[in-house]
Amino acid sequence: MNAVYQRAGTLRGATTAGNKPRYDLSNPQKLMIFVLSMALFGLSNILLEIIPDIHIGPVDISVAYFVFIPLTMAALFSPFWVALGAPLGEIIFTDLLMGDFSGLSEIEGFIQMFLAIYIAGSAIRNPGNGVQIAIGALLIVVVDKFLSAAVDLAKVWVGVEEAEYVEGLPESMLLLEGVGFGVDLIISGILFGILPAMWLIPALHGKIEPLMGMRPRVAGEPIPGKMPNSGLFVGAAVLLSIASFFFAFLEAWDVSIGAFEPEFLEEYGNGFLWISVIAIVVVTGLAIMFFRKAQHKDNR
Amino acid sequence: MARKQRDVLSVEWVKLELIRTAYATRGGLFSVMDPRMVLGWYLILAIIPWFTHNLTVLAVLFVVAAISVALARVGPLILALFVFGLLTEAVYIFIAAIFFGGDLTTIMALLELTLKLGTISMASMAAFVSLDPEKLSDALLALRAPALLAFAVSYGYRMLPILVEEFNTVFDNYRLRSAPPEKPGFLGFRSIAHWIKMAILAFYPIFLNTAQSVRTTVEALETRGFTYATVDQRGRNIRLAYLKVGALDLAVVAVTIILVAGAFWCGQVWPVYHVDLLR
Amino acid sequence: MTTTPAIALHDVSFRYPGADEDTLRNVNLTIDTADFVTVVGGNGSAKTTLCKTFNGLVPHYWSGDFAGVTEVCGIDTYTSNVAELSSRVGYVYQDFMNQLVRPTVRDEISFSPINFGMPDHAERTAEALEMLRITDLADRFVWQLSGGEGHLTALASVLAMRPEIIVVDEPVAELDPARALEIYERLEVLNQQHGITVVTIEHHAEFIAQFAKSVVLMDQGSPVWHLPVQEAVNRSSQLEAHGIPAPQVVQAVQALGYDQSPRTVKDAAQLIGPAVATLQSDAVADQEEHAAQRPVVAAASKVHHSYRTVKSSLQPVLNGLDLQVHRGDRIALVGGNGSGKTTLLKLLSGIMVARQGEIQVNGINTRSRSATRLSEHAAYLWQHPQQMFLKESIEADIALYPKERKVADWQHLVQHTLQQVRLTQFAHRDGRSLSGGQQRRATLAIGLAMQPTLLVLDEPTASLDITSRDAVISMLDELSDVIASAVVATHDMSLVSEWANRVVVLRNGQVAADLTPRALFDYPELLAEAHLVPPQIAQLGQAVGLSPAPLSVAEFIARFQPDELVGTGWTKSVGVKQ
Repeated sequence: MNAVYQRAGTLRGATTAGNKPRYDLSNPQKLMIFVLSMALFGLSNILLEIIPDIHIGPVDISVAYFVFIPLTMAALFSPFWVALGAPLGEIIFTDLLMGDFSGLSEIEGFIQMFLAIYIAGSAIRNPGNGVQIAIGALLIVVVDKFLSAAVDLAKVWVGVEEAEYVEGLPESMLLLEGVGFGVDLIISGILFGILPAMWLIPALHGKIEPLMGMRPRVAGEPIPGKMPNSGLFVGAAVLLSIASFFFAFLEAWDVSIGAFEPEFLEEYGNGFLWISVIAIVVVTGLAIMFFRKAQHKDNR
Repeated sequence: MARKQRDVLSVEWVKLELIRTAYATRGGLFSVMDPRMVLGWYLILAIIPWFTHNLTVLAVLFVVAAISVALARVGPLILALFVFGLLTEAVYIFIAAIFFGGDLTTIMALLELTLKLGTISMASMAAFVSLDPEKLSDALLALRAPALLAFAVSYGYRMLPILVEEFNTVFDNYRLRSAPPEKPGFLGFRSIAHWIKMAILAFYPIFLNTAQSVRTTVEALETRGFTYATVDQRGRNIRLAYLKVGALDLAVVAVTIILVAGAFWCGQVWPVYHVDLLR
Repeated sequence: MTTTPAIALHDVSFRYPGADEDTLRNVNLTIDTADFVTVVGGNGSAKTTLCKTFNGLVPHYWSGDFAGVTEVCGIDTYTSNVAELSSRVGYVYQDFMNQLVRPTVRDEISFSPINFGMPDHAERTAEALEMLRITDLADRFVWQLSGGEGHLTALASVLAMRPEIIVVDEPVAELDPARALEIYERLEVLNQQHGITVVTIEHHAEFIAQFAKSVVLMDQGSPVWHLPVQEAVNRSSQLEAHGIPAPQVVQAVQALGYDQSPRTVKDAAQLIGPAVATLQSDAVADQEEHAAQRPVVAAASKVHHSYRTVKSSLQPVLNGLDLQVHRGDRIALVGGNGSGKTTLLKLLSGIMVARQGEIQVNGINTRSRSATRLSEHAAYLWQHPQQMFLKESIEADIALYPKERKVADWQHLVQHTLQQVRLTQFAHRDGRSLSGGQQRRATLAIGLAMQPTLLVLDEPTASLDITSRDAVISMLDELSDVIASAVVATHDMSLVSEWANRVVVLRNGQVAADLTPRALFDYPELLAEAHLVPPQIAQLGQAVGLSPAPLSVAEFIARFQPDELVGTGWTKSVGVKQ
């Protein structure tokens, strides 16, 4: 070049140079994260379809999911959009497209996984911090399995008349869920969670972001792509889940103490169950509404 | 052991499965219905069983669901697997319950749960085996589900074989270029560990390659009005124009409601509860 | 509309967010309605960024500092939006397969019209399918499409919006030459019959010369000139400096002392007239060794292979194929889509085993060893380099095999291999960050470090610009003493004519012909069937009456001058079956 280059045209709109706004994701970037997490988590679930499960009695020694995949994306990009995309990828790639769709329990699974990834991803403030990564990997398994155990127990509690009085039923359910929980924590949480994530996250950090036209995350800055009212939403959802969980367990455990008198059920009878079912439907409906609202806002 | 060409676990296998799902319509009852009505029908049978402990009602509902499965022409293999799964699950819980002092009452309690879960599972089988994924996503879109969902289904269709192929290639690369363990180890443990390690390592290039292609995809979506369609409703209306509730849809739902009502009437007349059974 | 240009840029500058300097620099450019413009320029000259200003992706999607005015069909893109502009400007990406987002071709094409709520979407879809004559593809799944069909689908999907302008980013990059030619012919029809303004990004001078009406040369973010095509082609040395070597016909004609730059083979043939004599020279004599005397490296006997189809029936790919690869063979495997090239390569390298028949590599039956062990004898190089980059640097990728297999002194081997492919200075870079040609050389190094007896390559020169392609071919040539034998599946006739010493034509899963490269060009029906386009210089040779066809410009020059012709050393050594 001979002459020093100078812009001749007038700059349109506001310049981004000089003042540095808070780093946040643009809408296309959010969509990219969503699509990427859907594709990769979906792919990893297809692989699990291929791997045969090993059953030792009632205990299922299998890989529940490749925890490190959503965790890596949540840590590198944005927990919220990965949490939305990854479980959807699982549902669509493995259940819907492979002809194994199961209706309402897909919604159940989606909400569990969404919360698990969002909470775990939010725990990672610095993608370079190994301890945070390890905590994140365990959190995904703990939150997801905790919620699914709660749902399973709730089903028995709602589904069986006076389940708590059936000899051995609550205990055996707890035992099976507990063993499953332990197996998943070791296999999914550690072998397919912590170990690969500790390697993959630092390996991709700073390398994958430019491919998608993004800037790598810097430790300590606010998590990008967060919903403004997401804190409220997640808080509410977690509270509800925990509440329903304890509700289920109080029933099961307090049989001898008799916190709920038999008259309670007799008095309200099936009406009580009606109410609880309606409550579940309302909660699910509210959650979907929240999603839609959040999405609408971001798509604009 | 001589090597042979296998037809499972390959990219071709995934593609075939996908086409089979897409054209899964075996011509059953629900495949000709409006997908929204199928969803509604499913919800009736998926929710009602939770509202009763009356075994008579549950048994009738179970039979209704079983008839639906037959009408939907669900394959025998899927059905057999389902029954097997349902029974073993109950057996395990029962065995565990015996440890904690359970007895025959436990079986009866489990019978109630099994009837409920079985009814719901059969209803979902009947409904979703007949709906191809595109139709299902249209139904959800019509019921005001997010547009991202409909897109995700299309994208899955489009990308799944390509992603699997990509993984296959990268995995083959690892297979050819890394060293296998010297000895397979106890129960082939070392070999399995080596395969798992390769599967995990393969995700490093997969992450980077997919990120690159997603960028083009999202850019193309923008130029082709994907975002525009989430604001402007005309596109949605065109896409969903083919959805129409017909006489058959109403008839099926009406018959189902009558049958459910009938189930509850039977329950009134011949009430049976699991606690009664052993008294 | 006649007075408004299709596209007009005034002092446009653009800087990507977070970048240190402007990518586009004071671009002033006018493209007339119904023009056929080709944008050329070296790597990093901002060709793609320029084209993305036309449909508003810059600055609406990639928000950065945007200065100046871009007017498309009289609309200021800055005050417009991508949605409005995309009904006027259609964009086909270089990696067009990634722009297809719907499961079937028909869905794909109707996607935009439906999104924009157009009631006549069905007619538009049918019209777009018809314009490109791909109506029979309408109900196919996108992943069932070949590369060429995929590109046509992408093109149809933008045509469905009835755009006034179509931008096509490097159609040749992901397509074989015959398909790329087809795309250009369709674009020409769109341009001439439908008056659509066409803008392409292109490296291949042959296509530019044959199809473009005007050429824009980009350098460092701004146009150097925008000239009618003939004037542009005349500046061949300037183009060459920007990575676009002149077409072979221009090189040949100018070497013969003419000033003109003919744009097609026909023009060139008319210009120089028929050859005075068609005697053969020594240069033509292929060095015919008796292949049978050299040891066999790999052998396939009566190989049958097939894939499962939807209806669970078997679709045959290979039908009792027999082939022997000898030490010193440089085989180019050619054939149309679905002729079984890739399947044969994978069988030869032991990645797959055949349903029937046996394959021996180094005397080992491939059924008796795992693919992992067979890779000690045969190395397979995939078509897409990024699928072979498993590690964080190309050095680690090259070292993967020798290190894991504990090859003695592997460190030295890796360094030596890096030197052989001249990538030592990029040793620590991730393969994906390299240019196309460097990526190919890196995969070649990965194969070399495996020290195989048989090297198997799938389309090693696909998606390369001419300069990088020539570099890869000459590198393969240099390495011929390192590799005992190589089999290459290819559509690239430059590779065939300049590197191969044996061409195997596949048809219907069998070897249809096994001959020398030179002999291949005497069988136009074989070429057409295998979707092959002979190099321009061979076409020119045939057009002026040189037989057999010359394989390089130098050879053409040598043979075209009658007084240099001597002897009759050339004998036809062809074995065409059927």
